[in-house]
Amino acid sequence: MRSIVRNISENGLHPKIYFPFLLVVLMAILPLIPQNPFYEDIIVSSFFYGTMALAWNLVGGFAGQISLGHTAFFGIGAYASTLLYLHYDLSPWLGMLAGAVLSVLVAIGIGIPCFRLKSHFFALATIAIGEVLRYLASYWRGLTQGGVGLLIPFKPGIENFMFKSKLPYAYIALALMLVMLLICYGIRNSRFGFHLISLREDQDAAESLGVKTSRSKLAALIISAFFTSLSGTFYAQYLLFIDPSTLFSLGFSVELALFTIIGGLGTVTGPILGAFMLTPLDVFLRAWLGGVSAGLNFIIYGLVLMVAVKYFPLGIFGWVKSWYDPFLRKLPGGRRPLKTEKAVLPSLVLAKASNPARGRESSPFFEVQSLSKHFGGLVAVRDVSFQIQKGEILGLIGPNGAGKTTIFNLVTGFIPPDSGRVAFQGEPITGLRPPHQVCLKHIGRTFQVVKPFKDMTVLENVMVGAFARVHNAQEAGKLALEILAFIGLAKYQGSLASSLTIADRKRMELGRALATQPKLLLLDEVVAGLNPKETEEIIGIIKKISHQGITIFMIAHVMKAVMALSHRVIVLHHGEKIAEGTPLEISRDKRVIEAYLGEEYLA
Amino acid sequence: MEITILQLIINGLLLGGMYALISIGLTLIFGVLEIVNFAHGEFLMLAMYASYFLFQFYGIDPYLSLFIILPLFFLIGIAVQRATIQPILNAPPLNQIFMTVGMSMVLQNVALFFWTADYRTVKTSYSALTLKTEGLMISLPRLVAFFLAMGLIAALLIFLKRTYTGKAIRALAQERKAAMLMGINVYRTYQIAFGIGIACVGAAGAMLIPVYFVFPSVGALFVLIAFVVVILGGYNSLTGSLVGGLIIGVVEAFSGFFISPHLKEAIYFVIFILILLFRPTGLFGRA
Repeated sequence: MRSIVRNISENGLHPKIYFPFLLVVLMAILPLIPQNPFYEDIIVSSFFYGTMALAWNLVGGFAGQISLGHTAFFGIGAYASTLLYLHYDLSPWLGMLAGAVLSVLVAIGIGIPCFRLKSHFFALATIAIGEVLRYLASYWRGLTQGGVGLLIPFKPGIENFMFKSKLPYAYIALALMLVMLLICYGIRNSRFGFHLISLREDQDAAESLGVKTSRSKLAALIISAFFTSLSGTFYAQYLLFIDPSTLFSLGFSVELALFTIIGGLGTVTGPILGAFMLTPLDVFLRAWLGGVSAGLNFIIYGLVLMVAVKYFPLGIFGWVKSWYDPFLRKLPGGRRPLKTEKAVLPSLVLAKASNPARGRESSPFFEVQSLSKHFGGLVAVRDVSFQIQKGEILGLIGPNGAGKTTIFNLVTGFIPPDSGRVAFQGEPITGLRPPHQVCLKHIGRTFQVVKPFKDMTVLENVMVGAFARVHNAQEAGKLALEILAFIGLAKYQGSLASSLTIADRKRMELGRALATQPKLLLLDEVVAGLNPKETEEIIGIIKKISHQGITIFMIAHVMKAVMALSHRVIVLHHGEKIAEGTPLEISRDKRVIEAYLGEEYLA
Repeated sequence: MEITILQLIINGLLLGGMYALISIGLTLIFGVLEIVNFAHGEFLMLAMYASYFLFQFYGIDPYLSLFIILPLFFLIGIAVQRATIQPILNAPPLNQIFMTVGMSMVLQNVALFFWTADYRTVKTSYSALTLKTEGLMISLPRLVAFFLAMGLIAALLIFLKRTYTGKAIRALAQERKAAMLMGINVYRTYQIAFGIGIACVGAAGAMLIPVYFVFPSVGALFVLIAFVVVILGGYNSLTGSLVGGLIIGVVEAFSGFFISPHLKEAIYFVIFILILLFRPTGLFGRA
């Protein structure tokens, strides 16, 4: 017996693979056990809420966009299929799809205006759409019978999506949940998933790495709305009664969020854990407290929510995770490491990046002409022009507030310029926005204040950059490993970015930008705040990058770095370019000394 | 027809005055603390109940109850801020949103538990009084409420312009770090700002009770309007809230007359989405 087990496990059966399958089988057996409608209902509801919480988590957890109106998609699904069935005798199976399409359209209508703005606006818009639909559903009495609600006459049959026993409902709900789970799992481990998590962690940094943040958020919302809408139809067919105040209640949207937060926000399986734990509790609470007052369970939810967001941000998932892996190791076959792809050794580092530029020979590699920007009355950048030659390291220096970072933001699409022209390899890129477009043109950048994706590992951080060029997670991982070896961070690949020191965060950010395979790399204060040894190391890395043929434009305060690295330097003062030349020329320039030290030092 | 239009404008402005007072509290809290108070409507509801019970049990006129409710809600606001908002001021948006959403759920359902879903209102001797001139009909309590609301808003704006605390609040709204460096007691100022915001919505509740019903979910309707007003006026402009409130009031009066009073929520939402699409900073907001 033992040998059989060992044999199977050695042939590739690892607990990490077979244990989840066992859990799925267990869930499939679950509906067969109880003979009591009350418990059957709990099982169906758990699957049903699990699906919805997974769908909510895709937007609220992965992308970090808080929806308070998922009830809208739910209600649209329920009303669409029910109305089509009652008025046109259309099978709810088809009505389900019609509702889902309608929900997707509504999702697009909300997503496009809101996702460009701060996350509060999306929360506001979603809460509003839920409320508005509730009023509309109550208002169109002729169609929806208003607040009284709609009863669906019971005509069992598979074509009518109605069944005498609860068993078929349980399996439909389970199937929906498993499909949603697979989708979430697939997304989490794909380019799209990396994009969502990165934009949640830091939108600007994600944009700078080529992530189309608005479009990614919208895609997540569309998938989420689609499945929430399917669940709405399921709900209508399960209860055979729908009414506006239940379907479009804010409490329902908040419940989904609560399940997710309690289970583990932003994780793949957390929402299911939350739903399985809270649904039975919910059913009991309703049965037990319902007689006392309708709202008591919501008082408890509200309080739990207020406490949970403050004190248990990781949810049950965090706790399960702490014993899940050790537990798996005790199962047959668990001692052996899981066979994965062979670790990739750094090979041709940055081979693609060093390809010669295809720009026209006559035009300069990078050119800025009379660039200007003012904020209100303050002129941040005035009529600045310069060129960068291919392969050179150009330094940008100037006292605090000279407008250095503003220039970076102007040419990388973070701020639109007032006037002036920017061209890269002969192609005009003036005011090209949003920033991901600039990244995709092979211009990379880092930030003055480092912006790590804190909840991702170092490897994952760099992978986000790599995804700007490759679409497959394996290739991105391979590329990211090469980069990590190149910048000397390979030993931290599995650590969370939040655990790194400032120096290593700067390195990681450098690696992340490098992974987007830039031809021009803009470095904003990469050595600020580092000790001499760390500075020395970063200078070494920058030299290595330059040797790969990547052109570098860097802002620096630390003169040692500027002098050691730059071929040429331009000096900015009060938004104007006051000098340009080799480091030696600059260090002797009277205007420069005046700008840095004040006139009295010129004697 | 002209009389009808004029009548609608007057009705709209009177209504809009209330919306402005509710929204200005929301804007102040959002502008200074950068927190959307999703429980704002519930404080309106509580104030309406407070005014209702003061009338029922102690015979205090709703307008007189202002003198109790205004300071009371200011203190409630400070207490709520210290207990729930202060700890999450620097937390991610998720925590901030769900703190106030959770609060809203709790308050609404506590009200449902204690006071049931019954609609209640206060019938005063002047509830039905109207001024009639040249074919126009103006409800007296609404007119009084309007002027009171305008008076309170004016007082608030003067307070913010003239006093040290007011200036500190405005400074914080513009640049948190610089304000701290200037020696402003940030936490105390946050509490005061939140307290003022709640006091504003409390005052609105007291003024609404003679002309409107109170029930546990009454806040949901008003807070939806307040969101639209805040977005319309610009989410960081108090003047914007004032103007936005009046505009939305007039829009509601006209759409109620020419389209249908039951579709007003849908119309708000359309306005809301249009502003976000074409002018996300609102009429008076800064980028």
